Amino acid sequence: MVHALTEIRRVLVSDGILIDLRPLADHWPVEVVSLREVKRTGRVQDLPEQTNGDAASNESIQEAERRGLFKREQEELFSFTYSWDTPSEMEEFVKEEWQDFFDLDDETRRATRAAWAVADADSRVRVRMSMWIARCRKQASTTENET
Amino acid sequence: MSLQRDAEYNERKFLHKFVDLKDKRVLEVGCGEGRLTWQYANITRWTVGVDLDRDSLRVARVDCPSDVKDIVHLAHADSTHLPFAKEKFDIAILAWSL
Repeated sequence: MVHALTEIRRVLVSDGILIDLRPLADHWPVEVVSLREVKRTGRVQDLPEQTNGDAASNESIQEAERRGLFKREQEELFSFTYSWDTPSEMEEFVKEEWQDFFDLDDETRRATRAAWAVADADSRVRVRMSMWIARCRKQASTTENET
Repeated sequence: MSLQRDAEYNERKFLHKFVDLKDKRVLEVGCGEGRLTWQYANITRWTVGVDLDRDSLRVARVDCPSDVKDIVHLAHADSTHLPFAKEKFDIAILAWSL
């Protein structure tokens, strides 16, 4: 991944900016939400594929800084939500799209279905992801040969 | 399926909070189907989106909104071998892809 950062640095102008934007595994909350209330029903289970990937990405950015490729100027976490009409649609999505990265335990499935069943008619099921954004500025000199 | 992503538009808000994209030459690495691209490209000078997934790029080409058709360019490329001259872009966005 440092190779990609080196290549991106090459195509950026002097003083150019790199934005690193990605989800970070953090046992994201599962909620049943309506206009009237938000009810937390459990948390997403982070699988090693995701946590290891996050760690590798973080290490790549740190290595790029150590090599003088970029300097991190600003970073922040924010919420990015996925929501569905029903618990079964959420479960289907998690199974099909996130199967290698995240899972739902039985208790969270049960609690979400139970909460949704008695919730207001406008209720939806929501996973609130933690999103990471960082602004990094291209540095003029590096410890490596320029390509 | 009734999936809704980022109903609060936080991703767009934070992107604009972190960087001024107006009239900039932007490279988006991992543009996928263009979900994020379409949210900012209209204010850039031009935007190039690259991705390794040809199917996603095919969807992006079909879905590209008319107001950015002339300023968004999509290409199949690997982030470790970008087919561009050096110092071509003001801003690079790594979108869910590091």
